[in-house]
Amino acid sequence: MMRKIIALCMSIGVLFTSAATQATQAEDIKSFTLDNGMKIMVLEDSSIPNANMYLFWKVGSRNEVPGITGISHFFEHMMFNGSKKYGPKMFDRTMEAAGGANNAYTTENITVYTDWFPSNALETMFDLEADRIANLDINEKMVESERGVVASERTTGLENSNWRTLQEEIKGAAFRAHPYSWSVIGHESDIAAWTLDDLVQYHKTYYAPNNGVVVIAGDVKLNEVKALANKYFAPIPAQAPPREVKTVEPLQKGERRVYVQKASVSTPNVMLAYHVPATTSDDYYALDLLSSILTTGNSSRLYQGLVEKQVAIEVETYMPMSFDPNLFYVMGVANPGITALELEKGMIAEINRIAREGVSQHELEKVKNIKLMNFYRAMETINGKANTVGTYELYFGSYDKLFNAPEAYNKVTPEDIQRVAQTYLRRANRTVAVLAATEESDE
Amino acid sequence: MKLFINYIPQKLSRLASVFVIASAVGLAGCAATQQSVSVDTGSFKMPAYEHYQLDNGLSVYLMPQKEVPLITVNAVVRVGAVNDTTSGVAGMTAQSLLLGANGKSKSDIEQMVDFLGASIGAQAGKEGSYVGADFMAKDVDKMLPLVRDLLVSPDFDASEFDKLRQREMAGLAQAKESPRNVIGRYFDKLVFGQHPYGNPSSGTRTSLEELNVSQLRAFHKSYYQPSNSSIAIVGDFEPAVMKTKLASLFGTWSNGEAVQAPMLAKQQPTLDKSRVLLVNKGDAIETTFLIGGKGVARDNPDYVGLQVVNTILGGRFTSWLNDELRVNAGLTYGARSGFTPYSKGGVFRISTFTKSETTKEAIDLALKTYARLWEKGIDQATLDSAKAYVKGQFPPKFETSGQMAELLSDMYLYGFDDAFINDFQKNVDGLTLADTQRLISTHFPQDKLQYVLIGNAAKIADVAAQYGEVIQVEIDAIGFDQ
Repeated sequence: MMRKIIALCMSIGVLFTSAATQATQAEDIKSFTLDNGMKIMVLEDSSIPNANMYLFWKVGSRNEVPGITGISHFFEHMMFNGSKKYGPKMFDRTMEAAGGANNAYTTENITVYTDWFPSNALETMFDLEADRIANLDINEKMVESERGVVASERTTGLENSNWRTLQEEIKGAAFRAHPYSWSVIGHESDIAAWTLDDLVQYHKTYYAPNNGVVVIAGDVKLNEVKALANKYFAPIPAQAPPREVKTVEPLQKGERRVYVQKASVSTPNVMLAYHVPATTSDDYYALDLLSSILTTGNSSRLYQGLVEKQVAIEVETYMPMSFDPNLFYVMGVANPGITALELEKGMIAEINRIAREGVSQHELEKVKNIKLMNFYRAMETINGKANTVGTYELYFGSYDKLFNAPEAYNKVTPEDIQRVAQTYLRRANRTVAVLAATEESDE
Repeated sequence: MKLFINYIPQKLSRLASVFVIASAVGLAGCAATQQSVSVDTGSFKMPAYEHYQLDNGLSVYLMPQKEVPLITVNAVVRVGAVNDTTSGVAGMTAQSLLLGANGKSKSDIEQMVDFLGASIGAQAGKEGSYVGADFMAKDVDKMLPLVRDLLVSPDFDASEFDKLRQREMAGLAQAKESPRNVIGRYFDKLVFGQHPYGNPSSGTRTSLEELNVSQLRAFHKSYYQPSNSSIAIVGDFEPAVMKTKLASLFGTWSNGEAVQAPMLAKQQPTLDKSRVLLVNKGDAIETTFLIGGKGVARDNPDYVGLQVVNTILGGRFTSWLNDELRVNAGLTYGARSGFTPYSKGGVFRISTFTKSETTKEAIDLALKTYARLWEKGIDQATLDSAKAYVKGQFPPKFETSGQMAELLSDMYLYGFDDAFINDFQKNVDGLTLADTQRLISTHFPQDKLQYVLIGNAAKIADVAAQYGEVIQVEIDAIGFDQ
């Protein structure tokens, strides 16, 4: 649901030598696990008198089934709507009166709750979070008004974002078996349909301490966090682990195509989506660098080949971190006078050129430097730290993988880039989606 | 996501001391005996920095920060859309700095910057034109001269300019595919009309067509002068070494003819009636709208107080507007309000969106909620909560080198100092209930409100007509007004 920002936070860098870095080191992160299975990580950083608490839950739209698509995201909203001690509206009112603010986001794989507060309010945060984890009290009236809120969130995304419009359609075509088939926000009719019982079950199944990871970064002390975690989170009982998602998307054996008509679109938009393996795959790092080679900076392949030549006015690539095999997206917006087909051919030609001719050592060096810069940028804020550490814990199985990332990126060779382009960015493995004001006629 | 962040970008402004004015007006429903409770959100002060000028008048701000081995440079020239003779000339001049400078081509610059993992950008807003660079500390001797070249010796290559202009013209049409993206430009034009504050920094399709590189060169020569500029550098460097570098790089930059500043305080239009700009987007599935009027200038002594009051009305999740329109009614994913300040004026806007069918319901509820400011006013507990919130959320706005460089540039552009940061908590704490009444009656536009609605006119034209004199335009028409 929050495409760009997260992508930036997750770009992790290449640390060439340990001497070069003043940024966070492995030993700066302290972690402990409660008896109920909840893992908690702490990064002490007193640069501002604030701290944050990020709670990562292993539940996203991949855990849904037809009929309740979008329920993970809807549930994210319900987590703010009342529990035993803090009734409807009191979560936000209590937090804000203590100087805190919050938000949350849901992806295909995880749901993340973010609290930002003056560090004096740490105990209030524990109290608020523990109450909604242990004793959520789903109120029927709140469910009904929240349906309207989420319907509006869905509508405003489609009204304002071509990316959102295309991605929803392309996923439906690229996946016919795996739950990545539907958008995180879900189908319109499902948003109107789930029951109170569906929601209660969802909370019980997925919001168990053994299914969550907590990261706290900022002006706090480890001992203080430990004491509060023991007081507020430790008493919450563990639950049986949720059912695993075992569906494997069948191999795609030929190009698929989707067309979306929208009258107000000024020039055609083209999106390509190629199946790629999960984040734990060894090829993840090469694919991530390939994504940068294609679109990061004006010296990138697609900018040089399409924007510089007035074929496109914008190009973008995106590869989400993912528990299961997912998609590598490439999107372009046509310059006036350029047809959807010309743009599509131009995008594919640039991708195929990498598969055919490879990339230079210099190009690879460049994107490794960009990764390093992104890593430093992420580690400049307590929020970047919390989000990065939690993300690594979930997608790579342990946060210390964050500190193996530099070596993993460094090991990637130009041959690896060419190989992953040849392996994954192939026609038979691709879905093409076109958004334009008028669909081409049959005549 | 629970809520978009920064739907309306809000920048805080300088606060001079808060004057406590005892108000004779009693607040209905406000218990005078409520005890004020102040929440301790910790201490936050401006980090050490230096401010000095070179002999040619260039303002320099240096703030060392060691957390990561990065440097951010933010240069600002006091010129923007308010200085436009042809709409968009300031914006295109700024963007064209990147098309080549001091003999280095656009491609040379991009190859070098990208290879270092660095980034560089240039853009103009209403009153400032910015060149920003972000790079690893070890690359300072490559990046700082580049910043100098862009500011001082841009080439304004004609063929590169033609390509950029063509992309920008296409980008204008593309921007209008997203109502949220452009509605602010329509609103400023509606409120300020022909006054420079109504100028969109993007220009329009026809105005960009008129521009040429000679105009850009002339514009650059008139305004890009050291006495009209500042450079802020924040990050991992030694001040003494940096000063030497700056002196040799920027010391020879010379001033030309005196800069002509537009008279922005003068001739701002009077809003004598409610008007509704209805922008028809034929395939819209929702209505995006703004309601408001004039706001306050950046240096208004009440600015921080207004941030607190606006927090209660529409600046946070539990604000009245979001609580009514979203939480209680389920009409929208979010409703907000905010002041956008300029140097000599500003706007105040309520903003939200709702499906076409509930346009009237949402506008009426927004107006009814807004009227609570005058009908009921604010109670002590809500004020205390808003103060805690504003204070608690303040430090993360100034955490990174980039944020600090932007703050220092704003200090130069809007003429405020670090008391804004250092006295912020004290000023927020000092705000009384009586102050809030005065702020409401003085600064929030109560009537003759201005409306911009972007949506499906076939469905909402009758609704629009209920709020004022309607001006209807097509979204794909040129520009941002009738």
